[in-house]
Amino acid sequence: MRNTWKVAKWEIKRNLKNKTFVIGLFLTPALFLVFFLIGSLIGDSDGEDTSTTVFVNDEINAMTSIQETANLYELDWDIETTTLSEDEAKEELEDMEDTAYIYLNEQVLENGVVSVYTSEEIDSYFNQQVQLLGEPLQGMRIAQLGLSEEEMAILSQGVVFENQSEIEESTIEGQSGTDSANLERIVPGLFAGIILFAIVITGMMIFQSASQEKKDKIAEIILSSVTPGELMQGKIFGYFVLGMIQVVVLLLFAIPIALWQLDLPILEYLFVPETLLLVFIAILGYLLFAAIFVGIGATMADMSTSGNFQGMVMMLPFISFIIAGPVIGDPSGMIAKVSSYIPFTAPGVLIMRLTTLEDWPWIELIIAIAVLIISIWIFMKLAGKIFKVGILMYGKNATPGEIWKWIRS
Amino acid sequence: MEVMLTVKDLEKSFKDKKALKSISFDVRKGEIMAILGPNGAGKSTTIRNIMGIMYPDQGAITFHNNGNGIPRHKIGYLPEERGLYKNVKVMDILLYLADLKDYPLDKAKERALQYLKKFDLEGKENVAVEELSKGMGQKVQFIGSILHEPELLILDEPFSGLDPVSQEIFKEEIRKLANNGTAILLSSHQMNLVEEMCDRLFMIQHGQKVIYGTLDDVKTEYANFKCTIHGKNEISELEKIPQVQRVEQNDDISILFLEKDIQPTNWIKNLPESITVNELKINRISLHEIFIDIATDKNLLKEAGEANA
Repeated sequence: MRNTWKVAKWEIKRNLKNKTFVIGLFLTPALFLVFFLIGSLIGDSDGEDTSTTVFVNDEINAMTSIQETANLYELDWDIETTTLSEDEAKEELEDMEDTAYIYLNEQVLENGVVSVYTSEEIDSYFNQQVQLLGEPLQGMRIAQLGLSEEEMAILSQGVVFENQSEIEESTIEGQSGTDSANLERIVPGLFAGIILFAIVITGMMIFQSASQEKKDKIAEIILSSVTPGELMQGKIFGYFVLGMIQVVVLLLFAIPIALWQLDLPILEYLFVPETLLLVFIAILGYLLFAAIFVGIGATMADMSTSGNFQGMVMMLPFISFIIAGPVIGDPSGMIAKVSSYIPFTAPGVLIMRLTTLEDWPWIELIIAIAVLIISIWIFMKLAGKIFKVGILMYGKNATPGEIWKWIRS
Repeated sequence: MEVMLTVKDLEKSFKDKKALKSISFDVRKGEIMAILGPNGAGKSTTIRNIMGIMYPDQGAITFHNNGNGIPRHKIGYLPEERGLYKNVKVMDILLYLADLKDYPLDKAKERALQYLKKFDLEGKENVAVEELSKGMGQKVQFIGSILHEPELLILDEPFSGLDPVSQEIFKEEIRKLANNGTAILLSSHQMNLVEEMCDRLFMIQHGQKVIYGTLDDVKTEYANFKCTIHGKNEISELEKIPQVQRVEQNDDISILFLEKDIQPTNWIKNLPESITVNELKINRISLHEIFIDIATDKNLLKEAGEANA
């Protein structure tokens, strides 16, 4: 154990003194930040541009209801009245931007068709927005018929399709960012997701570290002082700490920005018991992939000569990203359930499911975690066997056949 | 002398090939013991089995003055396939290696600086390993293996890739460590170096013992006198000279391998006057020649030695 810690300390120190690692450490959050800022900049500029000037030639006294409707739907419109004829408006529009002319006359009340003229450049949502005016105008048309208020209400209400299933509610949390009940669950999930992602990425460095050790031919010198098992555990533990350092750096950037931009009590949402379980799952995920990476790294002479087999193994952690769509779309569905029991996808999928599901499926959860822990134990054993032989094999990659032989020995 | 390490009946196979067949020897305190043999004879395999990097199929490896297992902290090891982490400072890696051996760090630092100075690397302690030349790297690896004052030092091909000046420094340092009581086991195929420094040797070929004993024993047993004559002579003429076992001729140079118990002075007196001598040299067959003889599976020298024994 003492030797394990020594190896871990060395790996941590060595990387923290390495410029490439330190740059990477800050570059990851910087990239997140840049994308975040670009995103919000685009969002802001959208807001400025969409302010559309709408001229209304009102012959039927509908101005007030139009204003009300625009306010109700928070349309970004400057509404003004005009007396220009339709032909004059067309000329006028040729050298205007974000401008529209709406003609409300007797025809509207008779046929229900409104003539609208727009400039070439206009907000892409304008055509949908303008449809919203149909409601008050329809009201006016119905009023002409001289019906009772009740009849009018029935007519103008129309028919609405409402989806009553539960899933619909839980999936829309992405859009309804203001729904605090959902956010309470998303924040810990996001946090665990970041941890899993960061330590798995850092964990991939284990792989490089193991194959580099072979390339630099230092393995045998180190192994004269420590056992292969201690060296392997030291690496796994060391890179775990490096991964956590990456998470801390990431959060140092992310939390202040999130607090400033989102104006939500994120810290309050974060410090809940659920976070502990999610982080525990993330750590289990790390241990599984670390065992796989360290074993595979030891079979390779060099990063650039990795065979297909090694390449496939490297892709394992990313399977859960590939199936993220269906899992989040239907967190109690078949894909989500099955992939919870497959160790390679379980950590990512469990975090996604626990984040989106309101009631946690405890039995499934316990079975999945048990499966995960057992596979970690098995993979650690296998990695130990592969590592022991592989780390001393110089100059060539091991074939899957050879690896199988080492495992069986 | 106190025995530090005993290897007994070591056997190891790779697939169907037997790499080691019944290898037995011991290493004593304060002596230099050399394992010699051509490439692929089984030197590194033997050493790796001792270090616990491989496990023997059969046989026992005993470290004396120690309980069970390998006393890793008391052994210094320089493997044949060796290197260092590239992007770290020389001092950092030396201290890491010492730390792995549980050697106190302040003492390690002091010793590291001393050795760097001795090996002409003064002021390099804060230089990254990747900036060192190959020879400098070798020196750092050597320092790493002796920094923790090991009781047993195992060096696999310590001289490979070194220039003559560095070889000399290494030799001197290894000798000094032995004189201070360190047991040293080294492997090499550079006979001249080994001949100058080792106390005992174990020669191995095809995974089997060929010679085992002190350098003097080996020399008296195998190294008869030989006489090299420069000058044009008929081979049949030379073979008639008494006490000549065998003649090898190459252009105008003839090598006469002599019988075991000759008196060089008497033998010269009895040389016939008819032979042409531009240059004449009498010396013992060197370890190098014994080695070449064994490595090429001729075994002529050995047979000659046995014939006389």
